[in-house]
Amino acid sequence: FSEMPTDNFVESSFWNFDALFQPQQHPARDQHDTFFLQDPAEAPELPAGYTAKVKKVHAQGGYGSQGYKYEWRLEEARKNLLRTHTTSASARLLYRLAWQEKFAPGKYFSIDRVFRNESLDATHLAEFHQVEGVVADRGLTLGHLMGILRQFFSKLGRAGWARAGAPGGSPGLPSPPSLPTGITQLRFKPAYNPYTEPSMEVFSYHEGEGGSWGIP
Amino acid sequence: DEEFNDLCFEFGLELDEVTSEKDIISKEKGQEKAKGASETVLYKIDVPANRYDLLCLEGLVRGLQVFKERINLPRYEKIIPAQGEGQRLIITEETAQVRPHAVAAVLRNITFTKERYDSFIDLQEKLHQNICRRRALVAIGTHDLDTISGPFTFTAKAPSEIKFKPLNQSKEYTASQIMDLYRTDSHLRHYLHLIENKPLYPVIYDSNGVVLSMPPIINGDHTKISVKTRNVFIECTGTDLTKAKIVLDIIVTMFSEYCEKPFSVEAAEVVCPNGKTHIYPELAYRKEKVKPDLINKKIGISETPSSLAKLLTRMCLTSHVTGNGNNLEIEIPPTRADIIHACDIVEDAAIAYGYNNIQMTVPKTYTIANQLPLNKLTELLRLDLAAAGFTEALTFALCSQEDIADKLGVDISATKAVRIANPKTAEFQVARTTLLPGLLKTIAANRKMPLPLKLFEISDIVVKDPNTDVGARNYRHFCAVYYNKSPGFEIIHGLLDRVMQLLQVPPDEENGYAIKATEGSAFFPGRCAEIFARGQSIGKLGVLHPDVITKFELTMPCSALEINIEPFV
Repeated sequence: FSEMPTDNFVESSFWNFDALFQPQQHPARDQHDTFFLQDPAEAPELPAGYTAKVKKVHAQGGYGSQGYKYEWRLEEARKNLLRTHTTSASARLLYRLAWQEKFAPGKYFSIDRVFRNESLDATHLAEFHQVEGVVADRGLTLGHLMGILRQFFSKLGRAGWARAGAPGGSPGLPSPPSLPTGITQLRFKPAYNPYTEPSMEVFSYHEGEGGSWGIP
Repeated sequence: DEEFNDLCFEFGLELDEVTSEKDIISKEKGQEKAKGASETVLYKIDVPANRYDLLCLEGLVRGLQVFKERINLPRYEKIIPAQGEGQRLIITEETAQVRPHAVAAVLRNITFTKERYDSFIDLQEKLHQNICRRRALVAIGTHDLDTISGPFTFTAKAPSEIKFKPLNQSKEYTASQIMDLYRTDSHLRHYLHLIENKPLYPVIYDSNGVVLSMPPIINGDHTKISVKTRNVFIECTGTDLTKAKIVLDIIVTMFSEYCEKPFSVEAAEVVCPNGKTHIYPELAYRKEKVKPDLINKKIGISETPSSLAKLLTRMCLTSHVTGNGNNLEIEIPPTRADIIHACDIVEDAAIAYGYNNIQMTVPKTYTIANQLPLNKLTELLRLDLAAAGFTEALTFALCSQEDIADKLGVDISATKAVRIANPKTAEFQVARTTLLPGLLKTIAANRKMPLPLKLFEISDIVVKDPNTDVGARNYRHFCAVYYNKSPGFEIIHGLLDRVMQLLQVPPDEENGYAIKATEGSAFFPGRCAEIFARGQSIGKLGVLHPDVITKFELTMPCSALEINIEPFV
């Protein structure tokens, strides 16, 4: 997976929401969930042709979609904010890929900071990091997505164990069967996301943690 | 309970909590108050934001029963009364300024019980919160049709001209009085602003001048429905016609179950200011054609067309095989406004198949990966800085205005900082333009640790930049601080030299780096230098000014270094 550039905390509503088919009346665009900017308040530049296409799909539909059928406003898309997910960087990447002369498959990832306007408590911060992955190819299926997620999670547990210092073992030796081998027990649940369809949430079970299903 | 949990999980719902009324009161008000409360088991279920048809018990049960193949999806019927016999709602042009759209329908000969009545009211509230965006886009009004007589007029009038007895009140009020009356009401005060400052307020009258409602605030007491109500007139007014239609469709499909002729809805006619008439509810059934191949390929399964048709039918998308057995015709009912694209149909097929039944495979996409050069540089430097005896810190990117300006002796306007419009606390007013405050705050929080405290951070700062498409950009900065009984300027200087050595930048003014004495408001006079790399200024180092130390609640001398590392990528 190649690393995507994500070095922009400030993003326009266009890339953060509109280009991702999140309607302008969506609650996530509310004052309570997103940090909107006072200065610079608006993005001076939006990709002209692409903006027109996004407007059309929201307001009237297109590309096989019924659309949301509401009045899409440019001023709303211009509003600057601190990005609420790194998916805005993925959107920019996909836009650039679309301009390639010839399509070439690619796998991309990023790990970077995002911002949500929430009150702080034991499990919520206003700033946190997200891991994002994109695979672009022909003939991809939901089964592939689930397969990649399983591979990803299975690597998580093992790394944690190795850091703790395995008794008498070095990374080169195969781990004895009694030691934890990563998070492999996954269950997928249908979910809703404005910009992914089909969507799912992943629940994992890890014996070491005293075993409880939750979104990792 | 477990069985139900599994069913919800499969279907895409989340069984949040199994509780009872007694438990809820117990948690909120204490066990004493909970005595005598119902112990009947209550399930708290989380419904996805786009499934308006699952927001009430009726819809939820219907959906699950179709999913389990216990019933067939009912067919919702619109009955258009003979000419002149149906209800009419006339919209006047005054509403255009404040709340232009309205739709209406009638539920004829409905039988309510206490549970059904509560569910009916509850659904309206849920829809108000959800798709209606807290009544801003659509407001729902339900009225006892037997207490009023049409045709009805939806118009807008000056607040002083509107007078009626609001729901559950004992006397009449003018609209302006109503605003004041509900200003302290915990529920209704949030909606007052939607019409408060408009010159005209929306209002619906019947043919005798009885007020049905003043949307989106409150209905009239005269038309309130009760468990005994037999005929209900429903009106939805708002600023978004598409959503008003969806809301009306949902309410009537859900509750027409209890009409004398189940699942039939009496249509009403709405006359627009321009004279055009529309019949509502739309209750549109839409047909879509999707190739079974597409569904199979997108999910990664291989089901026969007829088995796919069966899966979709279980999801309330009645389907059958057409063509030469290689196409599927799917009928989308009015309850599924969330089906916008073929991919929504694919998702429903996958849910019916069972996500956890899909075989997990890894794509055969061969790619050669690259690390982003800026991040690669950051990772390399981090390791070596830790090796040099400094500890890494990760601090917040948002801070208060004082942190980047006043406390460093700088005026905020000189910082080109990005400012947040709606911070919840003063701690998140601006995005940091320097990593220094974060590190100093970290030291302040760790004063009890043994000295010297040597911290570093390599992370992004944000500044305004008119040359970017959004008007701001990030720069990757490296900052280090040394906090001890003596300032340790030589240590910080040594660290800079070490970093330059790692970056292979020679100590040469033309081709490498150089430092020149300068003044800095955050630094001790005579102990500050600017760092230049190939002629370009990249940052400063020096001993921090005692004022800065004090403002960050520190007590010992401190030296610091901060540079932009992007030129070295």
